[in-house]
Order: sequence, then C-alpha cells, then structure tokens
Amino acid sequence: MPPTQWTRAGVAALVVLALSLAPVALSPFLIQFLINLFMLAALAESWNIIGGFTGYASFGNVAFFGIGAYTTGVLLTVLKWPFALALPASGLLAMAFAALVGIPILRLKGHYFAIATLGVAETMREIVYNLKITGGGTGLTMPITKSALPFFYLMFGILVAATAINWWLSASRFGYGLVAIREDEDAAMAMGINAALYKTAAFALSGAFAGLVGGVSAYWITFIDPDGVFKVIITIQMIIMAVFGGMGTVVGPLLGALVLASVSELLSTQLVSLAELFNGLIVILVVLFMPKGLAEVISKREFSLRTLARNLREYRM
Amino acid sequence: MALLEVRGMTKRFGGLAAVSEVSFDLQGGEILGLIGPNGSGKTTLVNLVTGALPRTAGEVRFRGGSIHGLSPHAIGRLGVSRTFQIVKPFRNLTVIENVMVGALFGSRGGAPSLAEARRRAEEVLDFVSLSHRAQTAADGLNVPERKRMELARALAMRPAVLLLDEVMAGLNPAEIDAAVALIKRIRDRGTTLIVIEHVMRAIRDLSDRIMVLFHGEKLTEGPPVEVLNNPEVVSAYLGRRYAERAGA
Repeated sequence: MPPTQWTRAGVAALVVLALSLAPVALSPFLIQFLINLFMLAALAESWNIIGGFTGYASFGNVAFFGIGAYTTGVLLTVLKWPFALALPASGLLAMAFAALVGIPILRLKGHYFAIATLGVAETMREIVYNLKITGGGTGLTMPITKSALPFFYLMFGILVAATAINWWLSASRFGYGLVAIREDEDAAMAMGINAALYKTAAFALSGAFAGLVGGVSAYWITFIDPDGVFKVIITIQMIIMAVFGGMGTVVGPLLGALVLASVSELLSTQLVSLAELFNGLIVILVVLFMPKGLAEVISKREFSLRTLARNLREYRM
Repeated sequence: MALLEVRGMTKRFGGLAAVSEVSFDLQGGEILGLIGPNGSGKTTLVNLVTGALPRTAGEVRFRGGSIHGLSPHAIGRLGVSRTFQIVKPFRNLTVIENVMVGALFGSRGGAPSLAEARRRAEEVLDFVSLSHRAQTAADGLNVPERKRMELARALAMRPAVLLLDEVMAGLNPAEIDAAVALIKRIRDRGTTLIVIEHVMRAIRDLSDRIMVLFHGEKLTEGPPVEVLNNPEVVSAYLGRRYAERAGA
C-alpha cells in the first residue's frame, strides 16, 4: 500500500476503536443517536454499491430494508427463532430477493429503472399488508430488550462491514467493472465485462446490507408495520446521504449520514417539519454547488460560485 | 483456416436490410479495409460480429468455432475487440484507469492483479503515445486523444482480432499519417485488423485487402488498387455520372 493508504487505514482503525469504546463514556441519549447514525450510514453505504458505484439509481432499496425487518420480525415472534439466526436470514433473504428482481429490472436504465424499483418497494408493502404471517396492517411487536448495547455493536459491525465492502469496490477488479458499467455500459461489455452478472451481484450485495440493517432495526425499535418499514422516505434518505457526501466514494455516504443525522436531530428537537425542509434544501444546494458531493469538496476544495455558475449553465436553469 | 469467417450475415430492422448476406474471411495477420458510403452497413457489421446486435441470419466463426449467440463480453474475452465510431470513454475515470479496465477484463488466461493491469496499461499508453495524459480525466481529452484512448483500451485487451470503426475521423493529415503507422505497428505485434475508414489515402496505405459494402451488400473485395479503381465502387461513392466521366 502507498503511504497515504496506510494513513487512511490508520485513521479508520482509530475511528473504529474509539467508536467501539464509546458506549462506556456516553449518555443513553448519545448512544441512541449513534445507533441511528450507524443505521443511516450503513443504509447509505449499501445504496452506494448499486447507486454510486454501478450508477443504477435505485428508488426502491427500502424494499430490502423492509424484507430484512419482516424476516427478523416473523422469525422472532411467529417461528420463535433466536435472533442470532433470524438476523443472518434477514440478510440472505433480502439478498436473494434483490438478485431475483434484479435480473429483470436491471435491464432497464435511468428513469425506467428508478420507477421500476419504486414499484417493487410499493408492491412489497402491499404484499406484506395482505399476508397473514406478517400480521398485516397491525404489524408485529417484538420482545423488548433491556440494553441498547447489543444494537449499538450490531449496527456498528454492519456499518464497518458495509464500508469495508465499499472500500474493496474502490480498489478491486469487481469495483472497476461496476464503475465501467456506470460510465458506459456498451463500452464495458465490449471490453469483456459481464454487465448482467455484475449488476445483479451489486444489487444483491446492496440488498444484503439493507436487509441486515432492517433486521437489527426491527428488533431495536420492537414494533414494525408495513407503512413504517416500507416508507419511500427511507430510500430517499439513503440517496440524499450518498449524494450529499459523494456518490461512488467510500467516505461520502459516511459524511452524508453524519451531517444529515446531526442536523435533523438538532432541528427536530425544535420542529419536526423543519428537519424535512432541510432535507429538501440540501438536495437543491448539493446539486447546484457540489454535484460530486462533500467528499470531493473536502479533497479538492471544489466549492465556489464558479461551480454554481457552471452547473446553472450545464443544466440550463 | 481463416481466423475469422463470416457467412451470410444478415440484419434486418423491420423491412430494411441493414446488412444482407455478407460473407468474408479474415486471414491471421492481415489488415482488411472496410469501406462504403454512409449508411452502407459497416458499423452494423461490426456490431453483428462482436455480438452487440443480434443477427437475423448468418454465422461467425472465430478460430474455427462458432461465436454465434455469445454476448459481447464473451466475444471480447475470446479475443475479438472493437472501438466505437462515436467514442465511449469512461468519462469520470482517468485515462490510465480507462485502459486498465481493458487489461483487467479483456485478456484471456485469467484476470491480472490491479498492479499488473496498471503496468500493462502504462505500456499500451506508451505504445499509442498517450502516456503524458495518463492521469487526466477522460473527459478532459480532445477528440484525437479520445480516439487514441479508445484504441488503447481495445489494445489492452490483447485482442487477436481488432475492429477499428473510424479511428481516424476528425484527424488532420499529419495525425492520419501517425495513425496509419500506429495501426501497422499493431499488426506487426501480431493483431489481425478490420479497419473501417473514410480517409481513402489511409485505407489504401493500410489495407492488404479492401471490402466494399453498398446498401448492406458486399459490392466487391480485393487488393486496394484494384478495388479503388473499380468503376462500380467509384459510382457507389461518387455517382454513376462521375464514374463514367472518370472512365472516359
């Protein structure tokens, strides 16, 4: 590894160490905040695999989150499985589902793909609504656990794994294949990349992490219903965080999650609707001032009125 | 046995036959020039041979084995690569990364490591004289440089057969001379080429044989001087009256 990579690996190791010791010193409120932050960041990193690296803007990743949540929910409460088995099942089922729906819908591009994924998520919500085993519209209630610590470490572990996968994508043959597909799929195929397989694998990987997060989240909040875990806004949040931080980068989604989680926490103590207004504002400002995200701004200091002017010109606003 | 054999290749878009009953052989080590007026089916033929378009009828054999029905990536990996007439750079990647993708996925005999792919990409960039732009984002290249990068990406795949779709369009005379010399060096390194070009001087200097397409059909095939002086070819390009006057 070159020296800069060693430095980065060192910084990453320190952050991981500090965060894993954090619960000792932190108040319950801050621990709850961190669990929420880890959840959002892991979701953003998982979306980044298909949306950022592969360039397929999925508007339906909440389907995998919801499937994960319901898998854990049903296995825990109805079939009485231990959580240690229910959680991996959540990841696997969401992954299998992503691969299965991915095969047909990943043939679509751009807007068509976005709409199809949106449709998949809405359809899943309706299905779960109408199934008996999921409790339908009443939802499922899980046993309450006393300590928040297991959730802290589980969410953190999933986040670290999701980030590690993104890091691997940024420096591997598989990752280059995905990026080539994002940049020009026809050229990528002509150059020997099995685009259909690569896209499906990326979608499945993205689904697996969203499913795991969904599983932990379900047990953590103890109650799930179709409207709650298949909310479109969850996908939108993933996209905003990844876009804000920098799509297709490793640290981008982390930065995006950190900023968004912090600001909406601060704002929502004042007024809930203010936090949502902020989300909308962020999207507009990011697209105008820093289309490549926060990570790019920090590393290249590319934030200026000139960027704004150029973007206004390019997008003919 | 010819390296590449194309038999009865046909592509219809609705009622229109873009390519109709085209057959030809490509011998190992040769440069086959492919010419024809705009819309005569040259690029469609490339798309058919490389699997980018499904064919209506016909067959392609590479090294004696049928490659019909294989997807573009599989054909690319077997050793048949191409460039695109309208270049398709990976815009947000640097030039060297663009070429690395070719090295990573194209080559037969197992995937190289990233470091090995980078080394091969450097070598290819040096070969096409684009090393000085290695760290530039592909988006920042001018048109001639983009064409050369497109060529470099295809070369990094270490192809046995390379189909070049108008890599000289938009180049000035000096650049064309350089491109002709480069393509000859590619052949000398052991790659067989099909070269589509509108620049007649270049195609004459380059080709061992020339094949002419007209309205999707093969008009003729043969040595450059013979083909380019063929009245039928002249009239296909310039109209019958011009051909008659030139003949008179």
